[in-house]
Amino acid sequence: MEMIVLPTFSHFFQTLIDSRGVFLEGMLLTLQLTVISIFIGMFIGLFFALLKISRVAVFGYIANAYIFLVRGTPLIVQIFILYFGLTELNIPDFWAASIALAFHNGAYIAEIFRGAIQSIDQGQKEAGRSLGMGRFLTMRRIILPQAMRRALPPLGNQFIIGLKDSSLAAFISVNELFNIATTQGSNSFDNMTYLLVVAVYYLVLVLLLTFAVQTVEKKLSVSDH
Amino acid sequence: MSGFDIDVGNAISDKMGLEPVQKKYKFAGIVEGVKAGKFDAAVASHTINEERKKHVLFSQPYYYSGPQIFTRPGADIHSADDLKNKEIAVSKGSSYADIAKEHSGQEPKYYDSDVVALEALANGKHDAVVTDFATGAEAMKKKLKIEAQERLGQSEQAIAVSKDNKELIKEINDAIDALKKDGTLRQISEKYFDEDITVKQD
Repeated sequence: MEMIVLPTFSHFFQTLIDSRGVFLEGMLLTLQLTVISIFIGMFIGLFFALLKISRVAVFGYIANAYIFLVRGTPLIVQIFILYFGLTELNIPDFWAASIALAFHNGAYIAEIFRGAIQSIDQGQKEAGRSLGMGRFLTMRRIILPQAMRRALPPLGNQFIIGLKDSSLAAFISVNELFNIATTQGSNSFDNMTYLLVVAVYYLVLVLLLTFAVQTVEKKLSVSDH
Repeated sequence: MSGFDIDVGNAISDKMGLEPVQKKYKFAGIVEGVKAGKFDAAVASHTINEERKKHVLFSQPYYYSGPQIFTRPGADIHSADDLKNKEIAVSKGSSYADIAKEHSGQEPKYYDSDVVALEALANGKHDAVVTDFATGAEAMKKKLKIEAQERLGQSEQAIAVSKDNKELIKEINDAIDALKKDGTLRQISEKYFDEDITVKQD
Protein backbone atom coordinates (compact mmCIF):
# COMPACT_ATOMS: atom_id res chain seq x y z
CA MET A 1 0.00 0.00 0.00
CA GLU A 2 1.34 3.41 -0.88
CA MET A 3 1.88 5.78 2.01
CA ILE A 4 0.80 9.37 1.72
CA VAL A 5 3.84 11.46 2.44
CA LEU A 6 3.14 14.82 4.03
CA PRO A 7 5.83 17.37 4.68
CA THR A 8 6.93 17.65 8.29
CA PHE A 9 5.78 20.77 10.06
CA SER A 10 9.31 22.07 10.34
CA HIS A 11 9.93 21.59 6.61
CA PHE A 12 6.64 23.29 5.85
CA PHE A 13 7.39 26.16 8.16
CA GLN A 14 10.94 26.57 6.85
CA THR A 15 9.66 26.66 3.28
CA LEU A 16 7.01 29.21 4.27
CA ILE A 17 9.70 31.51 5.66
CA ASP A 18 12.27 30.97 2.91
CA SER A 19 9.88 31.49 0.03
CA ARG A 20 8.14 34.61 1.34
CA GLY A 21 10.00 36.87 -1.09
CA VAL A 22 8.65 35.25 -4.25
CA PHE A 23 5.22 34.65 -2.74
CA LEU A 24 4.82 38.25 -1.62
CA GLU A 25 5.52 39.33 -5.20
CA GLY A 26 2.90 36.90 -6.41
CA MET A 27 0.49 38.10 -3.76
CA LEU A 28 0.78 41.62 -5.13
CA LEU A 29 -0.43 40.40 -8.51
CA THR A 30 -3.21 38.35 -6.93
CA LEU A 31 -4.37 41.44 -5.05
CA GLN A 32 -4.22 43.62 -8.14
CA LEU A 33 -6.27 41.12 -10.12
CA THR A 34 -8.80 40.82 -7.30
CA VAL A 35 -9.18 44.55 -6.68
CA ILE A 36 -9.65 45.32 -10.36
CA SER A 37 -12.14 42.49 -10.79
CA ILE A 38 -14.12 43.64 -7.75
CA PHE A 39 -14.23 47.34 -8.62
CA ILE A 40 -14.91 47.01 -12.31
CA GLY A 41 -17.15 44.04 -11.62
CA MET A 42 -19.30 46.16 -9.30
CA PHE A 43 -19.77 48.86 -11.94
CA ILE A 44 -20.56 46.26 -14.58
CA GLY A 45 -22.88 44.47 -12.18
CA LEU A 46 -24.79 47.59 -11.20
CA PHE A 47 -25.08 48.66 -14.82
CA PHE A 48 -26.54 45.37 -15.97
CA ALA A 49 -28.77 45.05 -12.91
CA LEU A 50 -30.34 48.41 -13.73
CA LEU A 51 -30.60 47.41 -17.38
CA LYS A 52 -32.38 44.25 -16.43
CA ILE A 53 -35.05 45.92 -14.27
CA SER A 54 -35.48 48.77 -16.73
CA ARG A 55 -38.90 49.38 -18.26
CA VAL A 56 -37.28 49.30 -21.70
CA ALA A 57 -37.68 45.72 -22.91
CA VAL A 58 -34.57 45.74 -25.11
CA PHE A 59 -32.37 46.65 -22.15
CA GLY A 60 -33.72 43.65 -20.32
CA TYR A 61 -32.90 41.35 -23.24
CA ILE A 62 -29.36 42.68 -23.46
CA ALA A 63 -28.82 42.22 -19.75
CA ASN A 64 -30.23 38.70 -19.79
CA ALA A 65 -28.07 37.75 -22.77
CA TYR A 66 -24.91 39.01 -21.05
CA ILE A 67 -25.73 37.28 -17.76
CA PHE A 68 -26.62 34.04 -19.53
CA LEU A 69 -23.46 33.93 -21.66
CA VAL A 70 -21.03 34.94 -18.96
CA ARG A 71 -22.51 32.81 -16.20
CA GLY A 72 -23.00 29.97 -18.60
CA THR A 73 -19.38 29.49 -19.62
CA PRO A 74 -16.43 28.61 -17.41
CA LEU A 75 -14.17 31.48 -16.40
CA ILE A 76 -11.13 29.62 -17.69
CA VAL A 77 -12.73 29.44 -21.14
CA GLN A 78 -13.34 33.18 -21.05
CA ILE A 79 -9.77 33.89 -19.99
CA PHE A 80 -8.41 31.65 -22.74
CA ILE A 81 -10.63 33.28 -25.36
CA LEU A 82 -9.26 36.71 -24.46
CA TYR A 83 -5.63 35.55 -24.34
CA PHE A 84 -5.20 32.60 -26.70
CA GLY A 85 -8.30 33.07 -28.83
CA LEU A 86 -8.51 36.72 -29.83
CA THR A 87 -4.93 36.82 -31.05
CA GLU A 88 -5.37 39.87 -33.31
CA LEU A 89 -6.20 42.01 -30.28
CA ASN A 90 -2.96 40.92 -28.61
CA ILE A 91 -4.23 41.47 -25.05
CA PRO A 92 -1.40 41.18 -22.51
CA ASP A 93 -1.75 38.39 -19.93
CA PHE A 94 -2.54 40.54 -16.89
CA TRP A 95 -5.28 42.48 -18.68
CA ALA A 96 -6.78 39.42 -20.33
CA ALA A 97 -7.17 37.92 -16.86
CA SER A 98 -8.45 41.16 -15.26
CA ILE A 99 -11.03 41.84 -17.94
CA ALA A 100 -12.28 38.26 -17.91
CA LEU A 101 -12.48 38.30 -14.11
CA ALA A 102 -14.29 41.66 -14.03
CA PHE A 103 -16.89 40.62 -16.60
CA HIS A 104 -17.32 37.21 -15.01
CA ASN A 105 -17.84 38.59 -11.52
CA GLY A 106 -19.98 41.34 -13.00
CA ALA A 107 -22.58 38.83 -14.21
CA TYR A 108 -22.98 37.35 -10.74
CA ILE A 109 -22.91 40.79 -9.09
CA ALA A 110 -25.64 41.94 -11.49
CA GLU A 111 -27.94 39.26 -10.13
CA ILE A 112 -26.94 40.09 -6.56
CA PHE A 113 -27.80 43.77 -7.06
CA ARG A 114 -30.99 42.97 -8.92
CA GLY A 115 -32.17 40.71 -6.13
CA ALA A 116 -31.30 43.31 -3.51
CA ILE A 117 -33.00 46.14 -5.39
CA GLN A 118 -36.15 44.16 -6.02
CA SER A 119 -36.33 43.10 -2.40
CA ILE A 120 -36.79 46.69 -1.27
CA ASP A 121 -40.40 47.28 -0.32
CA GLN A 122 -42.55 48.85 -3.06
CA GLY A 123 -43.66 51.34 -0.44
CA GLN A 124 -40.22 52.94 -0.46
CA LYS A 125 -40.43 53.65 -4.18
CA GLU A 126 -43.99 54.93 -3.83
CA ALA A 127 -42.97 57.18 -0.97
CA GLY A 128 -40.21 58.68 -3.05
CA ARG A 129 -42.45 59.28 -6.04
CA SER A 130 -45.16 60.77 -3.93
CA LEU A 131 -42.61 63.24 -2.60
CA GLY A 132 -42.11 64.38 -6.17
CA MET A 133 -38.81 62.59 -6.75
CA GLY A 134 -38.16 61.41 -10.27
CA ARG A 135 -37.41 57.76 -11.03
CA PHE A 136 -33.68 58.35 -11.12
CA LEU A 137 -33.59 60.33 -7.89
CA THR A 138 -35.71 57.77 -6.09
CA MET A 139 -33.36 55.03 -7.18
CA ARG A 140 -30.27 56.98 -6.22
CA ARG A 141 -31.42 58.40 -2.85
CA ILE A 142 -33.84 55.79 -1.54
CA ILE A 143 -33.66 52.40 -3.21
CA LEU A 144 -29.96 51.91 -3.93
CA PRO A 145 -28.62 52.85 -0.49
CA GLN A 146 -30.94 50.32 1.13
CA ALA A 147 -30.26 47.73 -1.55
CA MET A 148 -26.51 48.08 -1.07
CA ARG A 149 -26.85 47.00 2.54
CA ARG A 150 -28.87 43.96 1.57
CA ALA A 151 -26.35 43.11 -1.14
CA LEU A 152 -23.36 43.09 1.19
CA PRO A 153 -23.40 39.48 2.43
CA PRO A 154 -23.77 37.91 -1.03
CA LEU A 155 -21.34 40.53 -2.40
CA GLY A 156 -18.79 39.57 0.22
CA ASN A 157 -19.20 36.00 -0.92
CA GLN A 158 -18.63 37.01 -4.52
CA PHE A 159 -15.51 38.97 -3.59
CA ILE A 160 -14.05 35.85 -2.00
CA ILE A 161 -14.89 33.84 -5.10
CA GLY A 162 -13.23 36.54 -7.21
CA LEU A 163 -10.10 36.37 -5.10
CA LYS A 164 -9.79 32.62 -5.56
CA ASP A 165 -10.71 32.82 -9.25
CA SER A 166 -7.64 34.98 -9.78
CA SER A 167 -5.61 31.77 -9.53
CA LEU A 168 -6.76 30.85 -13.04
CA ALA A 169 -4.56 33.65 -14.38
CA ALA A 170 -1.65 31.27 -13.77
CA PHE A 171 -2.65 29.35 -16.87
CA ILE A 172 -1.86 32.32 -19.07
CA SER A 173 1.52 32.89 -17.42
CA VAL A 174 0.55 35.65 -14.95
CA ASN A 175 2.96 35.19 -12.05
CA GLU A 176 0.41 35.37 -9.25
CA LEU A 177 0.28 33.17 -6.12
CA PHE A 178 -0.76 29.88 -7.71
CA ASN A 179 1.74 30.11 -10.58
CA ILE A 180 4.51 30.80 -8.06
CA ALA A 181 3.43 27.76 -6.04
CA THR A 182 3.54 25.35 -8.97
CA THR A 183 6.77 26.80 -10.35
CA GLN A 184 8.59 26.59 -7.01
CA GLY A 185 7.05 23.20 -6.37
CA SER A 186 8.28 21.74 -9.62
CA ASN A 187 11.73 23.31 -9.31
CA SER A 188 12.19 21.64 -5.95
CA PHE A 189 10.32 18.45 -6.87
CA ASP A 190 8.11 19.15 -3.87
CA ASN A 191 4.68 20.28 -5.02
CA MET A 192 2.84 19.36 -1.82
CA THR A 193 4.73 21.70 0.51
CA TYR A 194 4.37 24.67 -1.82
CA LEU A 195 0.68 23.96 -2.38
CA LEU A 196 0.17 23.98 1.39
CA VAL A 197 2.15 27.22 1.66
CA VAL A 198 0.07 28.95 -1.01
CA ALA A 199 -3.10 27.65 0.65
CA VAL A 200 -2.03 29.56 3.75
CA TYR A 201 -1.58 32.74 1.72
CA TYR A 202 -5.07 32.42 0.26
CA LEU A 203 -6.55 31.71 3.71
CA VAL A 204 -4.98 34.88 5.09
CA LEU A 205 -6.24 36.97 2.17
CA VAL A 206 -9.76 35.59 2.48
CA LEU A 207 -9.68 36.28 6.22
CA LEU A 208 -8.71 39.91 5.59
CA LEU A 209 -11.37 40.28 2.92
CA THR A 210 -14.03 38.78 5.19
CA PHE A 211 -13.02 41.11 7.99
CA ALA A 212 -13.22 44.13 5.67
CA VAL A 213 -16.71 43.18 4.48
CA GLN A 214 -17.91 42.58 8.04
CA THR A 215 -16.59 46.00 9.07
CA VAL A 216 -18.55 47.68 6.29
CA GLU A 217 -21.65 45.68 7.22
CA LYS A 218 -21.39 46.85 10.81
CA LYS A 219 -20.94 50.48 9.80
CA LEU A 220 -23.97 50.38 7.53
CA SER A 221 -26.14 48.77 10.19
CA VAL A 222 -25.63 51.68 12.61
CA SER A 223 -28.92 53.10 11.42
CA ASP A 224 -30.69 50.01 12.74
CA HIS A 225 -30.26 51.10 16.38
CA MET B 1 -1.41 11.13 -27.84
CA SER B 2 1.13 11.13 -30.63
CA GLY B 3 4.67 12.25 -31.15
CA PHE B 4 8.28 11.29 -30.98
CA ASP B 5 8.28 10.41 -27.28
CA ILE B 6 5.14 8.33 -27.68
CA ASP B 7 6.59 6.32 -30.55
CA VAL B 8 9.80 5.72 -28.61
CA GLY B 9 7.82 4.66 -25.52
CA ASN B 10 5.75 2.24 -27.58
CA ALA B 11 8.81 0.79 -29.30
CA ILE B 12 10.56 0.19 -25.99
CA SER B 13 7.51 -1.49 -24.41
CA ASP B 14 7.20 -3.59 -27.51
CA LYS B 15 10.81 -4.72 -27.25
CA MET B 16 10.25 -5.57 -23.58
CA GLY B 17 7.11 -7.51 -24.41
CA LEU B 18 4.97 -5.20 -22.28
CA GLU B 19 1.76 -3.26 -22.89
CA PRO B 20 2.23 0.50 -22.38
CA VAL B 21 -0.45 2.51 -20.61
CA GLN B 22 -0.27 6.16 -21.61
CA LYS B 23 -0.92 8.81 -19.00
CA LYS B 24 -1.09 12.48 -19.74
CA TYR B 25 0.45 14.62 -17.00
CA LYS B 26 1.70 18.12 -16.33
CA PHE B 27 5.38 18.13 -17.33
CA ALA B 28 6.39 19.98 -14.20
CA GLY B 29 5.06 17.19 -12.00
CA ILE B 30 6.45 14.19 -13.84
CA VAL B 31 9.75 13.72 -12.00
CA GLU B 32 7.95 13.95 -8.66
CA GLY B 33 5.32 11.53 -9.98
CA VAL B 34 7.91 8.97 -11.02
CA LYS B 35 9.60 9.34 -7.64
CA ALA B 36 6.33 8.73 -5.82
CA GLY B 37 5.53 5.65 -7.83
CA LYS B 38 2.66 7.21 -9.79
CA PHE B 39 4.31 6.11 -13.02
CA ASP B 40 6.74 3.33 -13.84
CA ALA B 41 8.62 5.35 -16.42
CA ALA B 42 8.53 8.78 -18.00
CA VAL B 43 9.34 9.08 -21.70
CA ALA B 44 9.00 12.84 -21.83
CA SER B 45 12.21 14.28 -23.23
CA HIS B 46 13.75 14.90 -19.82
CA THR B 47 17.22 16.38 -20.08
CA ILE B 48 19.63 14.54 -17.81
CA ASN B 49 20.92 16.95 -15.17
CA GLU B 50 22.42 16.70 -11.69
CA GLU B 51 19.36 18.10 -9.96
CA ARG B 52 17.02 15.49 -11.45
CA LYS B 53 19.55 12.68 -10.88
CA LYS B 54 19.12 13.29 -7.15
CA HIS B 55 15.49 12.19 -7.42
CA VAL B 56 15.22 9.61 -10.19
CA LEU B 57 17.24 7.15 -12.24
CA PHE B 58 17.90 7.89 -15.89
CA SER B 59 18.27 5.42 -18.74
CA GLN B 60 20.94 5.89 -21.39
CA PRO B 61 20.05 8.84 -23.65
CA TYR B 62 17.45 8.06 -26.29
CA TYR B 63 18.14 11.25 -28.13
CA TYR B 64 20.62 14.08 -28.19
CA SER B 65 19.45 17.60 -28.53
CA GLY B 66 19.87 20.91 -26.82
CA PRO B 67 18.10 24.09 -25.87
CA GLN B 68 17.29 26.41 -28.69
CA ILE B 69 15.83 29.90 -29.06
CA PHE B 70 12.53 30.15 -30.91
CA THR B 71 10.93 33.35 -32.15
CA ARG B 72 8.18 34.51 -34.45
CA PRO B 73 9.17 34.62 -38.12
CA GLY B 74 11.13 37.74 -38.97
CA ALA B 75 12.01 38.61 -35.38
CA ASP B 76 15.20 40.47 -34.52
CA ILE B 77 16.48 37.86 -32.13
CA HIS B 78 19.04 35.44 -33.50
CA SER B 79 21.71 34.74 -30.93
CA ALA B 80 21.86 34.44 -27.16
CA ASP B 81 23.12 38.04 -26.86
CA ASP B 82 19.94 39.31 -28.53
CA LEU B 83 17.98 37.93 -25.60
CA LYS B 84 19.08 40.66 -23.19
CA ASN B 85 16.04 42.25 -21.50
CA LYS B 86 13.65 40.29 -23.67
CA GLU B 87 10.58 38.49 -22.38
CA ILE B 88 11.12 34.75 -22.66
CA ALA B 89 8.50 32.09 -22.05
CA VAL B 90 9.41 28.63 -20.80
CA SER B 91 7.80 25.51 -19.43
CA LYS B 92 7.62 25.10 -15.66
CA GLY B 93 9.97 22.49 -14.29
CA SER B 94 12.09 22.56 -17.42
CA SER B 95 15.82 23.03 -17.56
CA TYR B 96 15.28 26.12 -19.71
CA ALA B 97 14.11 28.56 -17.06
CA ASP B 98 17.64 29.09 -15.76
CA ILE B 99 19.00 29.50 -19.28
CA ALA B 100 16.33 32.06 -20.05
CA LYS B 101 17.02 33.99 -16.85
CA GLU B 102 20.75 33.94 -17.53
CA HIS B 103 20.44 35.49 -20.98
CA SER B 104 17.57 37.90 -20.53
CA GLY B 105 18.32 39.04 -17.00
CA GLN B 106 14.66 38.84 -16.03
CA GLU B 107 12.24 36.29 -14.68
CA PRO B 108 10.71 34.29 -17.54
CA LYS B 109 7.01 33.69 -18.10
CA TYR B 110 5.94 30.23 -16.96
CA TYR B 111 3.51 27.96 -18.75
CA ASP B 112 2.53 24.41 -17.96
CA SER B 113 4.07 23.02 -21.14
CA ASP B 114 6.60 23.91 -23.84
CA VAL B 115 3.95 23.53 -26.51
CA VAL B 116 1.63 26.06 -24.85
CA ALA B 117 4.59 28.46 -24.54
CA LEU B 118 5.33 28.06 -28.27
CA GLU B 119 1.66 28.57 -29.14
CA ALA B 120 1.56 31.77 -27.11
CA LEU B 121 4.72 32.91 -28.91
CA ALA B 122 3.19 32.20 -32.32
CA ASN B 123 0.12 34.19 -31.23
CA GLY B 124 2.16 37.31 -30.62
CA LYS B 125 2.97 37.01 -26.92
CA HIS B 126 6.49 37.34 -25.49
CA ASP B 127 9.68 37.80 -27.47
CA ALA B 128 11.09 34.29 -27.49
CA VAL B 129 10.79 30.79 -26.12
CA VAL B 130 13.68 28.65 -24.99
CA THR B 131 12.98 24.98 -25.32
CA ASP B 132 14.41 21.81 -26.74
CA PHE B 133 15.40 21.76 -30.42
CA ALA B 134 13.26 18.66 -30.97
CA THR B 135 10.15 20.13 -29.30
CA GLY B 136 10.38 23.19 -31.52
CA ALA B 137 11.08 21.12 -34.63
CA GLU B 138 8.00 18.99 -33.98
CA ALA B 139 5.88 22.11 -33.53
CA MET B 140 7.19 23.67 -36.73
CA LYS B 141 6.42 20.46 -38.58
CA LYS B 142 2.83 20.87 -37.39
CA LYS B 143 2.91 24.27 -39.11
CA LEU B 144 3.21 26.40 -35.98
CA LYS B 145 4.39 29.85 -37.10
CA ILE B 146 7.73 30.03 -35.31
CA GLU B 147 11.34 30.29 -36.40
CA ALA B 148 14.37 28.53 -34.95
CA GLN B 149 17.37 30.62 -33.88
CA GLU B 150 20.67 29.88 -32.16
CA ARG B 151 21.16 26.59 -30.40
CA LEU B 152 22.43 27.11 -26.92
CA GLY B 153 24.25 23.93 -26.11
CA GLN B 154 23.86 20.22 -26.05
CA SER B 155 21.86 17.94 -23.86
CA GLU B 156 20.98 14.31 -23.50
CA GLN B 157 17.40 13.24 -23.09
CA ALA B 158 16.55 10.02 -21.28
CA ILE B 159 13.81 8.01 -19.65
CA ALA B 160 13.19 8.57 -15.94
CA VAL B 161 12.46 5.70 -13.58
CA SER B 162 12.11 5.49 -9.81
CA LYS B 163 15.33 4.92 -7.86
CA ASP B 164 13.75 1.79 -6.36
CA ASN B 165 13.36 0.20 -9.75
CA LYS B 166 16.89 -0.65 -10.85
CA GLU B 167 15.58 -3.72 -12.66
CA LEU B 168 13.29 -1.68 -14.89
CA ILE B 169 16.04 0.75 -15.85
CA LYS B 170 18.26 -2.16 -16.84
CA GLU B 171 15.58 -3.67 -19.05
CA ILE B 172 14.85 -0.27 -20.60
CA ASN B 173 18.54 0.20 -21.36
CA ASP B 174 18.67 -3.23 -22.97
CA ALA B 175 15.62 -2.37 -25.06
CA ILE B 176 17.19 0.93 -26.16
CA ASP B 177 20.38 -0.92 -27.14
CA ALA B 178 18.34 -3.34 -29.24
CA LEU B 179 16.33 -0.54 -30.87
CA LYS B 180 19.53 1.34 -31.71
CA LYS B 181 21.02 -1.83 -33.19
CA ASP B 182 18.07 -2.73 -35.40
CA GLY B 183 17.56 0.83 -36.61
CA THR B 184 14.06 1.37 -35.14
CA LEU B 185 15.14 4.38 -33.08
CA ARG B 186 16.72 5.98 -36.13
CA GLN B 187 13.55 5.37 -38.14
CA ILE B 188 11.39 7.08 -35.52
CA SER B 189 13.77 10.02 -35.39
CA GLU B 190 13.80 10.45 -39.16
CA LYS B 191 10.01 10.31 -39.21
CA TYR B 192 9.79 13.44 -37.04
CA PHE B 193 13.02 15.32 -37.66
CA ASP B 194 14.31 14.17 -41.05
CA GLU B 195 17.58 13.36 -39.30
CA ASP B 196 18.88 10.89 -36.75
CA ILE B 197 19.04 12.62 -33.38
CA THR B 198 19.32 9.37 -31.48
CA VAL B 199 23.08 9.33 -31.89
CA LYS B 200 25.48 11.93 -30.59
CA GLN B 201 26.01 14.74 -33.08
CA ASP B 202 29.24 16.73 -33.29
